[in-house]
Amino acid sequence: MEFKNTTLSNGLTVIAEVNPSAKSMAAGFFAKTGSRDETDEIAGVSHFLEHMMFKGTDRRGALEVNLEFDELGASYNAFTSEENTVYFAGVLPEFQTAMLDLLGDLLRPALRQEDFDMEKGVILDEIARYEDQPTFKMYERLMASHFRGHPLSRNVLGTPDSITALKRDDMQQYFDRRYSPGNVTLIGVGNIDWDAFVAKAGDTCSHWKPFDADRTLSPCGGSGLRIAVTDRKVNREHIGIMSPAPAAQDDSRFAAQLLSTIVGDSTGSRLYYALIDPAIADEAHTAYDMLDGTGGFLTFISTDPQRASQALEIALDEFKKIMDAGFSDAELQAAKNKIASAATLKGELPMGRLTAVGFDWVYRKEYMPLARQIETLFSVTADEVMTVAREFDLTKVTVLALGPLEEI
Amino acid sequence: MSQVFHTKEFANGLTLVSEPIADVASSAITISLPAGVRFDPEGRAGSASVLAEWSFRGAGGRDTRGLNDALDALGCQHHENVSSRHIVFSATQLGRNLPAVLEIFADILRRPALDDKTFAPSLDLIRQDLDALEDEPSRKAMMQLREKFYPHPLGRGIYGSAESLAVLSAEGLRQHAAACMSPAGAIVSVAGDFDWDRLDGLVGEHLGDWSVSAPTAGETRPPARGITHIPKDSAQVHIALAHPTVTVSDDQYYAARLAATVLSGGMSSRLFTEVREKRGLVYHVSTSYHSLKDHAGMFTYAGAAPAKAQETLEVTVGELRRVSEDLTEAELDKAKTQLKSSLVMRGESTAARAGAISADWYHLKRLRSLAEIARDVDAVKVEDVKAHLQQWPARDFVMLVIGPEPLDTSCLTL
Repeated sequence: MEFKNTTLSNGLTVIAEVNPSAKSMAAGFFAKTGSRDETDEIAGVSHFLEHMMFKGTDRRGALEVNLEFDELGASYNAFTSEENTVYFAGVLPEFQTAMLDLLGDLLRPALRQEDFDMEKGVILDEIARYEDQPTFKMYERLMASHFRGHPLSRNVLGTPDSITALKRDDMQQYFDRRYSPGNVTLIGVGNIDWDAFVAKAGDTCSHWKPFDADRTLSPCGGSGLRIAVTDRKVNREHIGIMSPAPAAQDDSRFAAQLLSTIVGDSTGSRLYYALIDPAIADEAHTAYDMLDGTGGFLTFISTDPQRASQALEIALDEFKKIMDAGFSDAELQAAKNKIASAATLKGELPMGRLTAVGFDWVYRKEYMPLARQIETLFSVTADEVMTVAREFDLTKVTVLALGPLEEI
Repeated sequence: MSQVFHTKEFANGLTLVSEPIADVASSAITISLPAGVRFDPEGRAGSASVLAEWSFRGAGGRDTRGLNDALDALGCQHHENVSSRHIVFSATQLGRNLPAVLEIFADILRRPALDDKTFAPSLDLIRQDLDALEDEPSRKAMMQLREKFYPHPLGRGIYGSAESLAVLSAEGLRQHAAACMSPAGAIVSVAGDFDWDRLDGLVGEHLGDWSVSAPTAGETRPPARGITHIPKDSAQVHIALAHPTVTVSDDQYYAARLAATVLSGGMSSRLFTEVREKRGLVYHVSTSYHSLKDHAGMFTYAGAAPAKAQETLEVTVGELRRVSEDLTEAELDKAKTQLKSSLVMRGESTAARAGAISADWYHLKRLRSLAEIARDVDAVKVEDVKAHLQQWPARDFVMLVIGPEPLDTSCLTL
């Protein structure tokens, strides 16, 4: 495996992890923009724009774009988060150049009015789809509560009102503010012809004009609120707990990942034995979310309404126990083994490496081969993990419960 | 690329199938036992799900914690699933840890604790999984559709019902386990980084002398079928449709897979283009091929706002039918590229390969190489697909809708 990187004259960075023994390759444009970079008036524009990127350019209409991807046998998609919008495709190596020609072209979209109007309905359908998924609704409200007053509180999808009111020109202006070549990175992984990759990137993207696209970072300690959202159409109680955690730039992010695994992995964790094993909850797991300049530990619990308060108190008690008394060496080793195993598996697929390599670069301008990542993980000490638990205070929580209950 | 397979059929009815893969560090194993939901005793649906959960509450002298810790220490990620025919235990880990993982799974298969005290929480978890379906209407729609489409009890919901779960007992389930947790008809599949001779030896050592006769598969009854509306004050109308098609072992299998790809593979597929792109009726619409051993169906789902649901149904059904008339050469070529491409890319996943070779053995009693599949895909002509679709038309639908109001279903019988 070999790491390659270059920067085009307009500031677009192109990087790749070249693996000649892979059977496919994958490429993605990572735009450092998301719902946190919007305003409430244009809430949801990043995600709506992500959809519009597939609707064609000056050279291609919407149906042609779709047809080209499928003729390449590509596996392709895009996603928008609070901080990033990523457009990616995986193809057999012989289709690399054709795929990059298409993907690169898309990133300067035509944003045609008729496509905008049609797709608005699809976005509203997507919002409705998530309306029927209580766990997702709970997550949105948890983020809104924990990050109250902070840009990260904004929902990625926007609201039916903000989307309905959104104009095509609002979207164009947002695009013109955020999609500077200096704010986008092109990542490639797998069986790549690097020279051809750079050449095609140059052909397709050199005409993008550079401008400043900044993001103001501010810390967030979390609101600490405890809220129950009552919805009697929901059958079970969906509980979200969030507390501050190291940022994506923090060296302690490996320790943070280990901590979240010890606390709330789906097997063998504190929450597993405290809640799943006795069947007080049918789902209880903790994840570590790395963000720009901040971070969060998120715990999700699904339980009967009658046992929800009990489940919540048990989880909070487990967080306190870790802070007060730590964990065993066996727990730390198991967490290391599980994370390393999962990372190894993910790393065997170009699509799996794409986001790992991509976000290492977006957040830290760093490339870390998988082997070194695993090495770093194994070198983390129990003290370092405990320092994260204490410094960030696992018990400093924001709670959001969604379900039949009136209070939690 | 040259693919190598190793297989071995043991005297007790267990088959080991495997595919070593170069340049990977992981290994994936699946163990499929003939203990799926179709074997749940009548009135005791949900047995397999509870058993799959309960089997991990201690085995071979270890208690729950001992068992979990042993697997965690090996970095093993494991899942338990129930399908129509099988309870499937699957695990992924570094290749070098596979022997130790296999030894632990042998304990789970042959010496599960199945203690009285761990029965109640296992049952409770499945009851909660059943409850949770109420909050997942799209998943509930597809599960209940399958139940009405396939002959009973092949398509039964894996969680059973509140009534059937309520009558399960520890002793009853232990007896059920003794009857179904059998090597006769079991398939162990391994893909990734492993040594065949060593694997063969280990499976022989741990499972070779495991002797339990095959469970009796009860008779099947004709499916309930019909058009069902489940009222729910949901934001979307969840439309689920199924119509019959050929099984994996049928000559027309590739024609069916290609038809599904033309209809639903990628953003230029017929359903995506006509229902979403051109008319903006939905966010999600798709059709997919699903096969049991002797019955198969094309399962279609669309989620639409109530005001658009009727049109969504009509356009979707229209598209499922139109392709039999005007499928083009270009569309078929595109579908072939897509299918072959995705086979190669999925082939990079050891877990996906372990699943694929297990399914191959179950349906075909042999393993297909990617080269063979590519050849058979390429051999399909437009006439073949059209002939297949005329023989297996988008008619005789079974339908299930979850939403505020029922829909006008006259388009189904046109």
